Amino acid sequence: MGENLTIDSTVTCDVLVIGAGGAGLRAAAYIGEQRPGTKIIALTKVVSPQKSHTTTAQGGMAAVDPKDPIDKPIFHMFDTWKGSDCSADQNVIKKVCELGWEEMVWLERHGMHFSRTEEKRIAKRPFGGHMLNFGETKAFRACYEASRTGKGIMDTVWNESLKHGVTFIGQCVATELLFKEDTCVGAIIFRFPDGTFSAILAKTTIVATGGNAKMYLVTSNCRGNTGDGLALTLDAGLPVMDLEAVQFHPTGMVGPGILASEALRGEGAILRNKDEEPFMERYAPTAKDLAPRDLISRAIITEFREGRGLFHEGHKAHHVWLDLRHLPKEVHEKKIQEVSSFFKRFVGVDPEKDLCPVTPTAHYQMGGIPTNEFGEVQKDPQTIVPGLFACGEVATASLHGLNRLGTNSLLELITMGRVIGDKVVEHLKDAPEPEGPPSDAGHIVFNQFSTYLASQGTESFAKIRDTLQNLMMEKVGIFRTEKHLLEAIEKLKELREKAQHIPIGTTSLKANQNLWQIWELNNLITVSMVIAHGALARKESRGAHFREDYPERSAEFDYHTFVYMPEFDKITFGKRPIDMSIFEAKGEHFELFDYIERKY
Amino acid sequence: MPDTYNITLEISRYDPESHLSWVQTYQVEAGGILRFVDVFRKINDEQDPTLAWASSCEHAQCGSCGIMVNGKPLLACELLVREAVDQFNTHTFRIKPITIAPVLRDLVVDLEKAYDRVHAAKPYLMKPAPAPPEGDEYRISPETLETYVEATQCINCFCCATACISSHHHFLGPNAMMSNIVRLMDPRETEKKERMDLLYGESGVYRCHTARACSFVCPKEIDISHFLALGKEGKF
Repeated sequence: MGENLTIDSTVTCDVLVIGAGGAGLRAAAYIGEQRPGTKIIALTKVVSPQKSHTTTAQGGMAAVDPKDPIDKPIFHMFDTWKGSDCSADQNVIKKVCELGWEEMVWLERHGMHFSRTEEKRIAKRPFGGHMLNFGETKAFRACYEASRTGKGIMDTVWNESLKHGVTFIGQCVATELLFKEDTCVGAIIFRFPDGTFSAILAKTTIVATGGNAKMYLVTSNCRGNTGDGLALTLDAGLPVMDLEAVQFHPTGMVGPGILASEALRGEGAILRNKDEEPFMERYAPTAKDLAPRDLISRAIITEFREGRGLFHEGHKAHHVWLDLRHLPKEVHEKKIQEVSSFFKRFVGVDPEKDLCPVTPTAHYQMGGIPTNEFGEVQKDPQTIVPGLFACGEVATASLHGLNRLGTNSLLELITMGRVIGDKVVEHLKDAPEPEGPPSDAGHIVFNQFSTYLASQGTESFAKIRDTLQNLMMEKVGIFRTEKHLLEAIEKLKELREKAQHIPIGTTSLKANQNLWQIWELNNLITVSMVIAHGALARKESRGAHFREDYPERSAEFDYHTFVYMPEFDKITFGKRPIDMSIFEAKGEHFELFDYIERKY
Repeated sequence: MPDTYNITLEISRYDPESHLSWVQTYQVEAGGILRFVDVFRKINDEQDPTLAWASSCEHAQCGSCGIMVNGKPLLACELLVREAVDQFNTHTFRIKPITIAPVLRDLVVDLEKAYDRVHAAKPYLMKPAPAPPEGDEYRISPETLETYVEATQCINCFCCATACISSHHHFLGPNAMMSNIVRLMDPRETEKKERMDLLYGESGVYRCHTARACSFVCPKEIDISHFLALGKEGKF
């Protein structure tokens, strides 16, 4: 079967966007608006960009209006730096925080349906870790559209891309990046409906494939968040950065792990343990239920360990309570309508009357493909890959460092998408026309697919997936130790071997869900391996990465971890310094941008 | 209420290689709290890895997993086993793909084709009003937003279009037409003529027979027929 796999067609374009979510399409919309006539192709794994995972983001997008009499961009920068546990890059923090309001206005003027204040302005709500006056009290900074802000953003960038003539190709994945010498010239794609391979040759390629948390048993991520973009990058011999920084959102709904937005706590919801004690007061006396996510997730697990958690019989899962009963009816009906309905439908509780069971859920990858502050992909900390950009959750510039604040990811998608758009418009001025595909195009993917298609093995797909998801949850989750990480790495090698021997249900290439999922499973195992190795090497605790055997932050690890894994388990590490440019500029309040203590 | 249910799923299958169609029966023992997407995954895991079905977010926010269950279009991620038993008063479920687009395999339809209808309705602001004189965002009162905000929750799952008697002929479809109507109600849109032409054109709102099946089946509980009625009234 393998030798029959061929590239069925070749298409050329100016810009190839791999992953048509919030970040990819903000870039596409910007390029389409600024440079009419640019031929842009945007790929999506789902049927339409509108169905991207961005659409499930609920609470809001942080942005400070520079004219605001109370809130200031510098407070936002400080919160982001502190929230990252001093591991984000200050050049990126500054750029993104300063662009935020302009981008918010862009979204609104292009049709996004923000909730409104009585003064007819965009409505804002508080969110975890966002505070006024360098940590004093909560800030109203998250601009929102009810509890569907992500949908509002996704609809807007999808609509604008459509308006500017972007070609969407749905139900397809990029399976291999193409290079001529060191320059990226596009990608091989595989289309689900007809099972064909195409070479897409592009002057510029933007990787924006989103998250990868499907290797965790409890996750808020969608079915397709399987780390494809990271695996693609690693296969190309390029590095990924800080993958050990996996964010667990403290309030996933017990059962499927669906997100119960931080907006609920922004509106006043309170976490309670089995004695109904509002336990966050003990862990974060000032910020309480609006402390950052990493802190709250660890607090919840500590409550479980010390016997103050509860057990849900239906879902066989530990949980604490989220109390929304005291919120006004108006809030339930207008401001958090979607989330309230999810609790009713999927958990069978009514948030107006009942306590709601929640548990930490794997939510967001802070790390990703390393880029500079313009979204240009790096092959080492000094060198970029010409023609290749990355933005959104799959990339890391890094705005979030090892811990992200809620509402900063939507902000990053939109601002970095636009920053890349700007850079691409410039790049296109003298980029050469792509020639034919490189002679070895397809060698990586044809190898993978022929192995999967020819497999006569007896391994079970479901068993490998379940083992992986339990393993990552237990050993590479919220609390980590050297012993557990070493065990996880050994187990992952075994799972990788087994994943080559899953019997294929049908060898047809057309709409073959079985083949597609085996490819995804292999990507998940690849990315899991890098997460585990990164976590093992970082012998400290910082942000979302917590080592029980090294519970303090250590100045020795004041850097980003680069990992190369061109072949499975063949790991090489590199280091990238943390950008401290706000601190080094010695402007007003610069001393707050040093390696500061992190307390809430 | 029992914790587990023995249910029978009679699922429409289609193989794009042989072009054969058939109905396959699966017996499943499923917890009442499982969603139909979980049941399909269980079938893949335990009985048949080849059964193809679509989904993405799996919590009713993307609209990728529309199917027909005993004749009713709905989202597979939203239907819990115990509610299905309750709602349809049976343990046997006849499951078919939604009918608004060609079938690719089994329950997976080519929704990309269905989306052409939404694209035709131009869901973006065609001609935005000039920037507000005060700067920043347009000023819209909560009361104005309230008149159309319900319709902006549409996720284009095409359950309404599947249920609609006219969508299978000349009508652009309830969801696509509603996205046109939203922009007619949106104070930021100034392109009224092209929007009215879309509204009253060959595939426009007068193809709707007011059966109101759209409102009845909408997973987001949007009263779509209300917005179509506003379209017929035409006071924009």
